[in-house]
Amino acid sequence: MRFEEELIELLPRLRRFARGLARDANDADDLCQAAIERALKSRDQWQQGTRLDSWMYRITRNLWIDDRRAATRRGIHAPIDDAVTQIAGDGAAEVEAGTLRGDVDGAMARLPDEQREVVMLVLVEGYAYREAAEILEVPIGTVTSRLARGRETLMNLLGEAA
Amino acid sequence: MSFDPATVAAYVDGELDDLTARRIEREAETDTALAAEIVRHRALKAQLAAHFAPIAEEPVPERLRALLATRETVDTSLAARREAKRWRLDATHWGAMAAALVLGITVGTRPWAPTPNVATSNGTLIAAGPLAEALDTQLASNQPAGADVRIGLSFADKDGRFCRSFESATLDGIGCRKEGRWQLERTLQGQAGSDYRQASSGELAAAASAMMAGDPLDADAERAARDGGWRKK
Repeated sequence: MRFEEELIELLPRLRRFARGLARDANDADDLCQAAIERALKSRDQWQQGTRLDSWMYRITRNLWIDDRRAATRRGIHAPIDDAVTQIAGDGAAEVEAGTLRGDVDGAMARLPDEQREVVMLVLVEGYAYREAAEILEVPIGTVTSRLARGRETLMNLLGEAA
Repeated sequence: MSFDPATVAAYVDGELDDLTARRIEREAETDTALAAEIVRHRALKAQLAAHFAPIAEEPVPERLRALLATRETVDTSLAARREAKRWRLDATHWGAMAAALVLGITVGTRPWAPTPNVATSNGTLIAAGPLAEALDTQLASNQPAGADVRIGLSFADKDGRFCRSFESATLDGIGCRKEGRWQLERTLQGQAGSDYRQASSGELAAAASAMMAGDPLDADAERAARDGGWRKK
């Protein structure tokens, strides 16, 4: 299959991943657009026979991280839901269990970036720990510890669903 | 509980070797704290999967698609016309889908507007939308080839409730009939069409056989149960 066609097939999933990272739908599609442009420009770096999806996820994630860092340098902080801030204070761990019952977006917004990306890759996109570690270019132990912390916060905020 | 939280999480994520996974399953049958922990992890996964699944069902915006439009086609006007035609067809499709929804024949089709398959009621996960409809009406013995939800086994559990295992793109699990709803007793992230399908099916079948009283329903018994509204035996 041609490179472009494979990318087109990936787009629905990639948009979902980007939405989890960037949260805002327009920002997420901007992120996808930047990732596609980067992929087309550096397509020579992708090796035929290796997984295009992992490669695309890595590009998308790295662009997002760059953007977050640039925003932090400019002194811009991603807006956080006021209600959540009031309830949650500084640490989600202090929040009473079930505060954000059903509000997945609100709960995800409370996660630090490095936990949110792991949660998206493993719990939503279904990657194995090893694959997530490769995408993020971190050791597998880092994936499992970040995932554990992210999970704990989410389960606490969302309350026990069962 | 003799398993640490990381091991329980790894079990739910399908990261354990078969031997350890089986040990956890066996222990969960008697250790209620462990069983509850597994359910809690699965519920989170199911909730996240259900929340994000609709995004992957949205049509991809034209501005993204256009970046990958076939460049080797010299006649771009032709490509553009084809693209326009495709979108018109989609619009027609919408009409047909709307009609299908009105007529209530959505099972086995792919509703363009995604409906969540999972809802919560009093803190319990229950099937909703197309999943609930498939569990209500679809017979394992007679499933449409391209059905979004595939029913695995139908059986009665130890309390006499009817339960059914199912697989779909985003969610696999077992639903049991309680108070007119399908309570989701087990949930796994859906792996439809991937290499992992077999493993996931195996895990579901094992969970089902642990819950089952007697044999799974055969085709006649399944039909009778459905026609009887899945009321307790």
